[in-house]
Amino acid sequence: MNANGLPVAALPPVARPSKLPPMVPVRHRRRDELHAVLRPFLASAPQRLALGAAMAALTVLAGMALLGLSGWFITATAIAGTSVTTALMFDVFMPSAGIRLLALGRTASRYGERLVTHDATFAALADLREQLFRGWARPDAARQLLARPARLLFRLTADIDALESLYLRLLVPALAALGAALLAGIVLGAMQLWLGIGLALWVIAAGWGIAWTVARLAHPAAVRRAQAIEALRQRAVDLVAGQTELAMAGRLAAQCDALAAADARLARADSALNRLDTGAGFAYGIAGTVTLTAVLLAAGLLVERGTIGVPAAALALLIALTATEPFAALRRGALEAGRTRLAVRRLAPRLSAPESAPTGTAATTSAVRLDRVSAAHAGSRIDALRDISLTIGAGERVALIGVSGAGKSTLLSVISGELAPQSGRVRTPVHCLLTQRTELFQDSLRDNLRLADPAADDARLWNVLEAAGLAADIRNTACGLDTPLGEGGLGLSGGQLRRLALARLLLRDMPLWLLDEPTEALDADIAHDVLLRLSAQADGRTLIVATHLRREAETADRLLRLHDGRIVADLRRGSPEFTAALLTLRAD
Amino acid sequence: MIRPIQPTSASIQPAVTTAGAGGWVHGGAALVWLPQAALLAAAVQGLADGRGFDAVLLPAVGVMLLGLLRAACEAWGARQVFGSARTQLSALRAQAATALAGRSPLDSSRPASGLAASVVAEQAEALVPYLVRFQPARRRAMLVPLVFLPVIAWFSWVAALVLLIAAPLIPMFMAIVGWRAKAASEAQLVEMGGMNAFLLDRLRGLATLRSLGAIDATARRLGESAQSLRRRTMAVLRIAFLSSALLELFSALGVAMVAAYIGFHLLGTLTFGTWGRPLSLGEGLFVLLLAPAFFDPLRELSAVWHDRASGEAALDALDRLSQGGLRLVGTSSDATVNESPAAASVEIRKLDFAHAGESTVFHDFDLHITAGEHVAVMGPSGAGKTALLSLIAGLVPATAGDISIGGVTLTEDTSASLRRQIGWMGQRPHVFAGSVQDNVALGRDGVDRAQVDAAMRIADLGSVAQAHPGVALGEGGTGLSGGEAVRLALARIAASSSHASLLLVDEPTAHLDTETAVRVADALIELARDRTLIAVTHDPVFAARMDRVIRLEACA
Repeated sequence: MNANGLPVAALPPVARPSKLPPMVPVRHRRRDELHAVLRPFLASAPQRLALGAAMAALTVLAGMALLGLSGWFITATAIAGTSVTTALMFDVFMPSAGIRLLALGRTASRYGERLVTHDATFAALADLREQLFRGWARPDAARQLLARPARLLFRLTADIDALESLYLRLLVPALAALGAALLAGIVLGAMQLWLGIGLALWVIAAGWGIAWTVARLAHPAAVRRAQAIEALRQRAVDLVAGQTELAMAGRLAAQCDALAAADARLARADSALNRLDTGAGFAYGIAGTVTLTAVLLAAGLLVERGTIGVPAAALALLIALTATEPFAALRRGALEAGRTRLAVRRLAPRLSAPESAPTGTAATTSAVRLDRVSAAHAGSRIDALRDISLTIGAGERVALIGVSGAGKSTLLSVISGELAPQSGRVRTPVHCLLTQRTELFQDSLRDNLRLADPAADDARLWNVLEAAGLAADIRNTACGLDTPLGEGGLGLSGGQLRRLALARLLLRDMPLWLLDEPTEALDADIAHDVLLRLSAQADGRTLIVATHLRREAETADRLLRLHDGRIVADLRRGSPEFTAALLTLRAD
Repeated sequence: MIRPIQPTSASIQPAVTTAGAGGWVHGGAALVWLPQAALLAAAVQGLADGRGFDAVLLPAVGVMLLGLLRAACEAWGARQVFGSARTQLSALRAQAATALAGRSPLDSSRPASGLAASVVAEQAEALVPYLVRFQPARRRAMLVPLVFLPVIAWFSWVAALVLLIAAPLIPMFMAIVGWRAKAASEAQLVEMGGMNAFLLDRLRGLATLRSLGAIDATARRLGESAQSLRRRTMAVLRIAFLSSALLELFSALGVAMVAAYIGFHLLGTLTFGTWGRPLSLGEGLFVLLLAPAFFDPLRELSAVWHDRASGEAALDALDRLSQGGLRLVGTSSDATVNESPAAASVEIRKLDFAHAGESTVFHDFDLHITAGEHVAVMGPSGAGKTALLSLIAGLVPATAGDISIGGVTLTEDTSASLRRQIGWMGQRPHVFAGSVQDNVALGRDGVDRAQVDAAMRIADLGSVAQAHPGVALGEGGTGLSGGEAVRLALARIAASSSHASLLLVDEPTAHLDTETAVRVADALIELARDRTLIAVTHDPVFAARMDRVIRLEACA
């Protein structure tokens, strides 16, 4: 009970994505999520990742050593140069050789660092994409994805990009900066132990502390920014795709204002992030100055006491000068860490869940059997199917009819195992579903076909193309089976698309075919040809087709009329009701 | 607030820049290193002179104060630069939105919604790094070396010469080695970005992939092609990264050579290179401290170099969105709603119209529709049926001729008030982000909650709203089936019908099952009582219920 005396469950649900369920400890969840996302990163190329970080550290150290040694060298020579004897005694070879070596070494390690870190990142991202694809391909995730593709897909792209900075901009600079702090500590520690330890601790604490603070503070702004950019994108889509409706409603200017409002929200989040970035820059600047000043004073003290010579003081000064510089590289990564955390949170569920075994629908029977099945779509309160019991024998040809929204497509989804029923049992033989839209992939025609049977050779592909009535059209193209398809590829007509889908279906030699409005939106004569070929090839198979077109229902021997999620009529060919039901359907 | 949209003429690219006081303060902060380095050098000189702790005390205070000044200048300048950059981005976005809003939906060169959204939302974001990172870095790269070099030359012309040779060599060698490689690597990185497109492409077709049992094979292919692309990319990057290695080499060698020269000079081995008198330790150290700072701006510039390309690409893309094309007839929204107006007549005289670059659709076309008449427009595809509706609604300008509705001629000035009298039902209604109710009301003046509820009853949308409770629709209407989308369009026209004197309807019964088609037709005819109705249709059953059928033939 809350303060109002109402049971909490009675309150309207409020979408609060940032609040986690109370029973899961927040810290554990975050660690698990991070682990789930880091694992593919670290597991794919651990040596390469470590090598990249090591080379980055080496680059930083060589730069520090170069400047430090130069300062020492100049000071030492100046002191030695004051008298001719010491000038002749002074060993110039070692320091000047060291300086040259460091200059070249730094170049080499920088080059190596860039190569190795990029290679490692690309490799890790390649692995990550594959795993994400497998994660999304699981039935529950797939339905979620297909329900709202555009937005989720754009999120996905942005999230994967955000992960890139995890290694390149956060882990690598953090390690390189650690190396710099340690080197500074060792060099100064050799002069005076407490000075070295103090410097190293201070540099690490200040450097990592600022980065850590920025990363923490950046998270809310990064989330706001990600949301604002999605709103902006959505409003731009609405402005262009809904322009006619907006113009007719007199709302074009209002939509432009709405877009500007989203941009203003984005600008506020941007500004918050920029303030953090600037603040971090300021803090690093101050930390660097404090370090330099403190080491200068300490060096003065040590020289006065005679603990170190002047050249060593110059070395200490230059090392202190360069020790805090590498932390500046952490700034951007820390700022982006807020966005990265959001990406981690969104991607982790797709990476962490175990591979689910294929569902038990692939029974050995060749008959489809549904026993008291009810089903609802995700997020819907209404059952799309209510208490359906149904047996379809092997070799039967069944058409599901009914007004739109009656549950035809839902029944197909349940039979195909794409949608899990809320109650009841479903037994289905292995099968293949022909979706309403023929989906092509950005690939060659050959590979688009071979999705259905990776082992198929060209001869077999031509065979099925022939059977589907598409072979002649393909022969007329310049590239034949190599013709690129999909976005930016060959534009196939509606009829050609259906024939291609049919060809893919033929490659999957399955005992049960599920067809969802297979000739919707086709011209009548093309539709009849496709149906004829389909019918011929379906010999000996079980066929279930969801349709509101007479020509499609005519291929069936049994009609199931659905209404409001129930089967209200089960009609066999030959009965007068069967003929009457056919006549209620839309003619060509 | 209702605001008329100013038509923008083609391609006015404003000069985007962040050069203001903030920009110069931000850039100039790097120069504070000059006195800081002088103080540090003086402190070491003082130590060498045996002055002990006293030698470092004052310089330390100076270094500290100057450090504070530098950090403050950089922070203040960065905020100024950001503020100015972000304002410019908002202005450019608003300009692009206004331009997009004014283009005719029938313009075939109009960008697709996905592309426009990508440019306005994601790509335009590249402008800020361009203005905030690249431009200041370029300013600093021009300013800092120019100031440092004379200062170094004041002490030693050899040291200045070493830096003078090393610094311009960097851009030169970067150009020689990096130029082509850079282009190649950028192309390659675009291709790497294409891997995301590959993933999205396959995810979009997940239903098909699942039904074909191709998930595993696709996942493996995704992994393999990403790995092979990685190998190809690395081959290109191996050369492209040479340019950054060269930058490193020259800056490191520059520092090393300056250090070696000064060392040998102080030792007395090299006596030349100064203006007559030998350098002191402090002077030598000062020059050494300036040497790496001399290269820093160049390093920084090379690190943000890609911000330039993406920033300029974003500017171009935004500019292209604003360019040319057919425009709406008047985009003002400044019109009052007229409650229950009388049915309007439609009079079309000597109409000429052609799609850009295509054959004529209407030539010398006349049509008279009396007030209250219900007319079906039929004809083969390409005959201009949809174009006719769009011309009447002012969604596309006629090449010549007059259209008047209820005796008022359609012009830039009258279009807004005329459109408010028109009820519109398009073929593929766009589903906006928002609830079902929002999608019916569309934020129109004079459409209240009661009208929305009534409209939803007419269109039988209640079940749709229940099936998606509290869920926002949107993004191409993936949440609605074809039949649901038609019902949404019907509800939209029903909600506005009390203000409408003319209903324009495009293919209301296409792709519906017979039962639903009859219901939609009944509802439309009921709505059109005492109103003029022009309906484009293929459906002979629906056409038979109109008062008159007009057949359009494709123009020869």
